[in-house]
Amino acid sequence: MRRRAAQASGTARSATGKSCAGTRKDLGRGARPARLAGAGCWALLAGLVVLEPHVSRAQYPTSPPPAAPLKPMQFPPFREARLANGLKLIVVENHELPVVSLTLALPAGARVEPAGREGLAGLVATLLTKGTPTRTADQIAAAIEGVGGSLEASAGDDFFTVSLTVLRDYLDRGLDLLADVVLHPAFPDHELELARQRTLSALALEKSQPEALASRFFARALYGEHPYGRSATEASVKAITRAEVQQFAADRLKPQGALAVIAGDLTLEEARRLLGQYLGSWRGEPPPESPAPPPPPGGPTRIILVHRPGSAQSNIEVGNLALKPADPWYFPAVVGNKVLGGGADSRLFAILREQKGWTYGASSGISRGRDVGHFSAGTEVRTAVTDSALVELLAQLRRMRAEPVPDSELAAAKGFLVGSFPLSIETAAQVASQVSTARLLGLPDDYLRTYRDRLAAVTAADVLAAAKRVIRPDSAVIVVVGDGSAIYPKLQTLAPVEVIDADGKPVSPDELTAKAQPVAFDAAQLVARRDSFQLSLQGNVLGYMTAELVRGGDSLVYLEETAIAPVGFRQRTVVRMDPSSLATRAVDQSGSGGGQELEIHLVYAGGRVKGRAETPDPRAGAPKVVEVDTALAEGTLDINAFQPLVAALPLAEGATFTIGAFEASQNAVRTLSVKVAGGGEVAVPAGQFAVFRVEVTGGSQPLVFYLTREPPRRLVKLEIVGQPVVFEAVR
Amino acid sequence: MTSLRYVPHLVAAAVLLLAAPQAAAQVAVRYALDSLPNGLRIILSEDHSTPVVSVDLWYRVGSRNEQPGRSGFAHLFEHMMFQGSAHVGKGQHFQLIERAGGVLNGTTNEDRTAYFEEVPSNRLNLALWLEADRMRSLAITEENFENQRQAVKEERRLRVDNQPYQPAFTEGIPLLYDSTSCFGYAHSVIGSMADLDSAKVTDVRAFFERYYAPNNATLVVVGDFDPAEARRLIAQYFGDIPRGPATEPVRCDYRFDVGPKRRVWEDPHANLPAVVIAYRLPPHRDADTPALTLLGTILGEGESSRLHRALVRQSRSALAAGAQSATRSGPGMFFAFAIANQGVAPDTLERQLQAEVERIRSDGVSDEELTKARNTVRAGNVLGMQTTMQVAERLQHYAHLHESLEEMATDLDRYGAVTNETIRRVADKYLVPANSFTIVVVPKPSAGGGAP
Repeated sequence: MRRRAAQASGTARSATGKSCAGTRKDLGRGARPARLAGAGCWALLAGLVVLEPHVSRAQYPTSPPPAAPLKPMQFPPFREARLANGLKLIVVENHELPVVSLTLALPAGARVEPAGREGLAGLVATLLTKGTPTRTADQIAAAIEGVGGSLEASAGDDFFTVSLTVLRDYLDRGLDLLADVVLHPAFPDHELELARQRTLSALALEKSQPEALASRFFARALYGEHPYGRSATEASVKAITRAEVQQFAADRLKPQGALAVIAGDLTLEEARRLLGQYLGSWRGEPPPESPAPPPPPGGPTRIILVHRPGSAQSNIEVGNLALKPADPWYFPAVVGNKVLGGGADSRLFAILREQKGWTYGASSGISRGRDVGHFSAGTEVRTAVTDSALVELLAQLRRMRAEPVPDSELAAAKGFLVGSFPLSIETAAQVASQVSTARLLGLPDDYLRTYRDRLAAVTAADVLAAAKRVIRPDSAVIVVVGDGSAIYPKLQTLAPVEVIDADGKPVSPDELTAKAQPVAFDAAQLVARRDSFQLSLQGNVLGYMTAELVRGGDSLVYLEETAIAPVGFRQRTVVRMDPSSLATRAVDQSGSGGGQELEIHLVYAGGRVKGRAETPDPRAGAPKVVEVDTALAEGTLDINAFQPLVAALPLAEGATFTIGAFEASQNAVRTLSVKVAGGGEVAVPAGQFAVFRVEVTGGSQPLVFYLTREPPRRLVKLEIVGQPVVFEAVR
Repeated sequence: MTSLRYVPHLVAAAVLLLAAPQAAAQVAVRYALDSLPNGLRIILSEDHSTPVVSVDLWYRVGSRNEQPGRSGFAHLFEHMMFQGSAHVGKGQHFQLIERAGGVLNGTTNEDRTAYFEEVPSNRLNLALWLEADRMRSLAITEENFENQRQAVKEERRLRVDNQPYQPAFTEGIPLLYDSTSCFGYAHSVIGSMADLDSAKVTDVRAFFERYYAPNNATLVVVGDFDPAEARRLIAQYFGDIPRGPATEPVRCDYRFDVGPKRRVWEDPHANLPAVVIAYRLPPHRDADTPALTLLGTILGEGESSRLHRALVRQSRSALAAGAQSATRSGPGMFFAFAIANQGVAPDTLERQLQAEVERIRSDGVSDEELTKARNTVRAGNVLGMQTTMQVAERLQHYAHLHESLEEMATDLDRYGAVTNETIRRVADKYLVPANSFTIVVVPKPSAGGGAP
């Protein structure tokens, strides 16, 4: 695999030349320390470079170069103060860039909303910047955006935050605006109605987004009536009055208990002076919070299926309540989580994506709330592998509880968590965010200072013990957002399933299972013919299939033969059908695969199918034998009769059919969902054809048939979804 | 802090739409240029404030280099770059970087494919070596290719097919360009499922031979490093990788007077109608780019923008509305878009979007608006330079889209020189019906399934 052979094409040389330093004229202060001796300029950036021989010629290393010692790093300094009105202040100075950010965090999140008024804190946040006695909403927006800054309020579960970012030159203007909206919000009626309308539309938008649905119903199932489980609904948003908005702000937006974090180009002394100037007259303390209802106790694992018809993927979220914020098990839990599902070097990513190819991403996480947090793991996979992915995900959670993490994985996880910490404190705003999170969650004073040491001290035994506390796949909530009609039957075998729609209303499983119905076939499409197909994998031909229709006076016979030499598979099928109704009369199939024999003989008559099926069973090591005698609904075909009959379906763009097909090896009727999904042209060895693309799900594997539009229709291509093999018509 | 509750994201659907190249702005950073005899271009920029270093390697190849029938290939190939090389096993690139405490990824757009590592400064050697090893000796196997084909198809389902609006935007907006005269910009970066299925492992090798050579790449290193040491490592790791063939320029013919085009898209996942009006723009290097960027800000960025005020606040027809100029190496796009509030017909949105564009064409903008837009660009310039990775991306931006790092020092002046009259002129030149493509997304109730 070494295209670019490592033969040296000459000693690499580096350039010297004129300096190419950029200017800082927009910034004017505190240049970045950046000096490069012997720096060179590209002339026109086109590689016209002055080159000189390089001093040494070192060999290309054939293994990863060793690490130099990690540079010691202290958590950047920050300073704390308290204003006379009780407002706490944290300042992180950084004079590299002329920018200041301020985040004001107040204990006024969704958790203090009255029951039935979910969304109130969010509405207050939206409206905060929409008018004061002296400024209209448009004036506020123009004033802050006019200087390229931003001023925003938002409400989370625990905290209400007001954030300001401005260039240093405009800090006064920014603070003036911030103080005005925090101290004197006017909440004009027309702004409330506009905000309400937009919130309702946003809720409608959310219902169309699978990740939003997964998040909402996962929280609801996990936390119940605890504030972390509640979220705004159409009804709660409609119920909120202007008086309630005013009351919430008047009670809750108070300096006592609030935290202001300032980061960037100013000193603690400046911060004290400016906040004293702008927020000094702000006074008061919020009323005590009433205790939150506890989250429901975890029961046995259950699945909540959010039915979203037509979904291309299933969004899966599995989790359980976990730790309080200051719990010392947090550190080993974080290490374990990194091993399990933290990033590209984790088990879930390696298995579900890199090994199985089921998903673009899979991950897990440990969340922290002020009261309690949760563990969760999730992925988004194509519909056909939903159950397989969920089974694998749960197996990986169990493995974390059953086996100590091997040393190599433990070292890897700790290496990342300890080593990447500097990346999370590159900017002043990032440092400020770390400090404020620690303060707001009530973490110990030495938390940030000792963070890396505590992670570095975690052992495999600690991780195992933490996993047993934190990861509970047998007492978990599983939310799956996807097409219920395709995944409900499979999920049912894994755990009890509750089905709801995007509004959270119960859906009866009966509504999900499409009922098979007799289809009016067009027998004229089935003319006597013989077609040959090649089976190829990535362009390599591995086998052949021939399909022949023979018409007699009172019979229509379909003969199919398949041979895939490299895996020793061959199969011959004869299906006898009624020439006008196309009902199955008899099926005879023989062949071998995986070193075992296949033999099926069935007779369809009088609303029953009778016979015997012997089919390979690789897991058992011996063929599986089924004696068949089953009553069938009208219109039920043999599954082997389906392929010739696709051409006789009344195909049209967008048409769907639901067909019952008996599969003898399972002794069961499969409900096949057939959808005509577009068309276009396909090129196969037999030529280029305008086709119908016919998607079939509900069988052992999803299939896509391509049939010519031109009658009599002819199958020209057949794909097995999710597998790299394809059948294509040859001449 | 918990972020379990899903925060309503008013412009969620617009996010992908706006993931366009950053506005050009003055850069305030020192750098040094270098190159190797094999053509690898090097930009080094020291910043010792945090013991962190970013390595950002751009190859001049993107979806614009793809051939008909192979849409999505450049991005699929990007995935293959993480599947191992002569001395690095499958998945090891992720492992080695993460175990060193670093983060990494790759991204593909129309013009370029970018690979980056941000690592503690003691592991600069590792990041450089991993980039060099895959540039010299990518491992390509049938099994890995098939696996990544599946991962990319899932990525498409995740980001496009299973989301409201995205199929219409992803497939529709490239139709602004003609696929016969400008295939490169007339298809999506993610590509079609059929083309992803058709891609062959033999294509991977050919693509690698053609585009993944040092003379088609630019390496940027920013952060806490010693420049002499960095030069020595780069020479040692990359120096003997042979040059590749010269790559041919991408052909793209386009006009600004094709005539209005419009397409209605039924979206089974959308609950609310949406409208996008897209216009063709000249390449990023064009002299009109600063005025177009400012025009995008005035029309559609922030709560004081024209569209927000008119559609969201005054007529209340839109849940969200915005606009942006998205320029590229080749021809670009200007969008104005809106998502309807409940009960608002898409025709209303479309008329109002058109009216706001027309108003700027006829009356221009105010001095306050122009000042605001300039300040927004200036603040974005500062805020977008805070991390070593941001600085690296900025340097790459100028190296590729301006083909001049020196313009970093003067770019902001070009924004300062834009007048009200320039804005009116560019609006009148590009934001005209004959240069527009309108996409109307209407919700389509899903067929099948039992839910109401």
